[in-house]
Amino acid sequence: MRPARKVLRTLLAAFSVAAVLTVSACTTATPQTDTADSSEPAHLVFWNTGGDEEVAVLRAVADRYIAAHPGTVIDIQAVAWADSHAKILAAATAQEGPDVISGGLSWGNEFGALGGMLDLRQFGITERIQPMVAPGSWHSVEAVDGAVYGVPMDMTLYLFYYRSDLLAAENITPPATWEDLTAAIEHFEGKGVENPFVMTWSTLSWLQYTNFLKQAGGDWYSDDCKTVTVNSPEAVTALNYWADLHRKHGAPNEEPDLASGLESGDIVMANGGNWNLSGLDTSHPDLAGKWDVAVLPSGPGGAGSFIGGRILGVMSYTEYPAQAADFIEFFYTDEAVTALQEAAQANGFLWISPRAELVDKLVTTDTAKAALKTTLQTAEGPPNCPGWDKSSPDIDKALQEVVLNDADPAAKLGEIADLLTRNLTG
Amino acid sequence: MSITEVRTEPRTPAVKRKRRPHLRRNLPGYLMLAPFLALFAAFLVWPLLNSLYLAFTDFNGIKPPNFVGFDNFERLWTDDARFRKALGNTSLYVVFSVGLTTLLALALALAFRTTSLRDKTMRTIFFLPSVTSSMALFLIWGWIFDIEDFGLANTVLSWFGGGSVAWLSTPELAVPILVFISVWGGAGYGMIIFVAGLNAIPEELYEQAEIDGASPWRKFWHITLPLLRPVTTYVLITSLIGAFQVFEAVYIVFRTTASNVGGVLDSALMIVPYLYDMGFGKFELGFASAIAWTLFIVIFIVSTVQLRLTRTLKDL
Repeated sequence: MRPARKVLRTLLAAFSVAAVLTVSACTTATPQTDTADSSEPAHLVFWNTGGDEEVAVLRAVADRYIAAHPGTVIDIQAVAWADSHAKILAAATAQEGPDVISGGLSWGNEFGALGGMLDLRQFGITERIQPMVAPGSWHSVEAVDGAVYGVPMDMTLYLFYYRSDLLAAENITPPATWEDLTAAIEHFEGKGVENPFVMTWSTLSWLQYTNFLKQAGGDWYSDDCKTVTVNSPEAVTALNYWADLHRKHGAPNEEPDLASGLESGDIVMANGGNWNLSGLDTSHPDLAGKWDVAVLPSGPGGAGSFIGGRILGVMSYTEYPAQAADFIEFFYTDEAVTALQEAAQANGFLWISPRAELVDKLVTTDTAKAALKTTLQTAEGPPNCPGWDKSSPDIDKALQEVVLNDADPAAKLGEIADLLTRNLTG
Repeated sequence: MSITEVRTEPRTPAVKRKRRPHLRRNLPGYLMLAPFLALFAAFLVWPLLNSLYLAFTDFNGIKPPNFVGFDNFERLWTDDARFRKALGNTSLYVVFSVGLTTLLALALALAFRTTSLRDKTMRTIFFLPSVTSSMALFLIWGWIFDIEDFGLANTVLSWFGGGSVAWLSTPELAVPILVFISVWGGAGYGMIIFVAGLNAIPEELYEQAEIDGASPWRKFWHITLPLLRPVTTYVLITSLIGAFQVFEAVYIVFRTTASNVGGVLDSALMIVPYLYDMGFGKFELGFASAIAWTLFIVIFIVSTVQLRLTRTLKDL
């Protein structure tokens, strides 16, 4: 090849690379700031994080909203939990996608802080919704600066499940305190049951530990998020108790099949999510009449547990922000909650609305209703403090090291506190 | 007329006309390449260069990226314990996965290299994992290692009097399980490559060695292995690149054991799942891009060393 042509080709290649790099820098997504309201009927796309069976349930609400708002169209799509976070991020990056989303309780603050979701306060709906929602879950969705990027759509609670017949046969009442629980576990261990108590729903993670932290009277942060409080004597007490349930009393480190275990009697007591309420009798008819449910046992600090669930929020690029916010507020009406509960019941599960007073309308046992109402009063959602999400994987590791490697609880909580403090201040 | 004089003559129209047929001759080829080149540029070159740019920014997917220099790389190498854990796990996984897969593939190739029906059937059986959906395979492996009674691994253990093992939530077992799954899934593909290489070795060499009284081991060591070197290099390098990029196995098999990607105590955390978690779980796309380019550098260095070693051994 002639030298001149070689030089020309090299220059051309270099120029192409530079051009692509320049275009890359200039075309990386920038969020649109134009969110013009539209007075025309809206066409809303709603991505629901969950299973396909919930689309039918949400359709019941959407149809009622459409009946009250002629001309509005609402498309509902199910997005699996495993994919939803990434898909919503992709939509926010591309400034294209759903108008309304549902997702984890902390997602509103996550996406909102990045500019991906709208602060719902601007529509005035948060003032009307907040009084209807349990304080523990509202605190989780409210950002430190007071912004509300998502409001609770439904709640997920920890409940205490037990084989009522087995406990009755041993004259044991459902454990109300840690001491009762330990005594019951030891009693059944003495009778040869290997793992009488199990913990399901995020078995070895900060979610599960949060139950015991609250019951011991501890917390992750102060209410104003200015101080990390997890390295407290209460937190150490909670961590020791939780770790001993695994280390001394054989609670599995991996989530077992609760229904099968309860049916066979291998599991006598368990804590787990409220979704088991509707699934146990359906999947294991032999269990009918043999199990019951209660609130989680209280600790030295009283009752407490983690509350999860989903939020509803509006994406920042939507063309119909006011209509989207109005649709979200509709979820809190008596009409919508009734429709959700009936449709969920028809599809084989319970819909726990953030409106605690409407738990009585659920089609379930009285003890379950009582347990749900009581738990809603004392449960709290994930911390809303800056740096929490970033810290959670390392928090899980530190807690697991206590359970699996007998690490010193106080030392590990100290490490967690240092991490949270570093991430709190960025 | 001297050559110099010929060379210094100005270009004549005749010379120019020679270039045009050359261009016309090649133009159809370039035009046929154009669609591929366009897609290649759009879906490989551009994302690659964009990722390189993002690696030096704090891009979170929504807000405009800010240039941060080498901060991401500095954080990765000096202040990220999870990355070090992922790197350690990945290194361990690569060494054992690639080594065992190659050895097993070679052993299977030696055992089933003929054209008999038995050997063809065995090769088909061992190759099946390579043509099966990886998602389906890993879901099934997750069930096999489930702690419940329906978990096949625990069922087999119970036949021998063993108790139930929490396979996926025991940190010490995480990497061995991933290696096992990888070897099971990858040996078949390597076997096919080795069979092709084995069948390319002239039979006369073995016949001559037989006449000279060479034992089977000496024939293998002095004839088979040296002549299989190019094939072995190919299998090693492709296995190595694939092993460094392991993602699905971790993400699917260990997804239920902990709320984090990577399982209990990050025992199954590898570089690519960590990259995914940082990028799409934590919105740190700039940081995730830095992880990706770090992985590229690691693979590049390891592959280069391996190639040099292979050449050196060949020269010896």
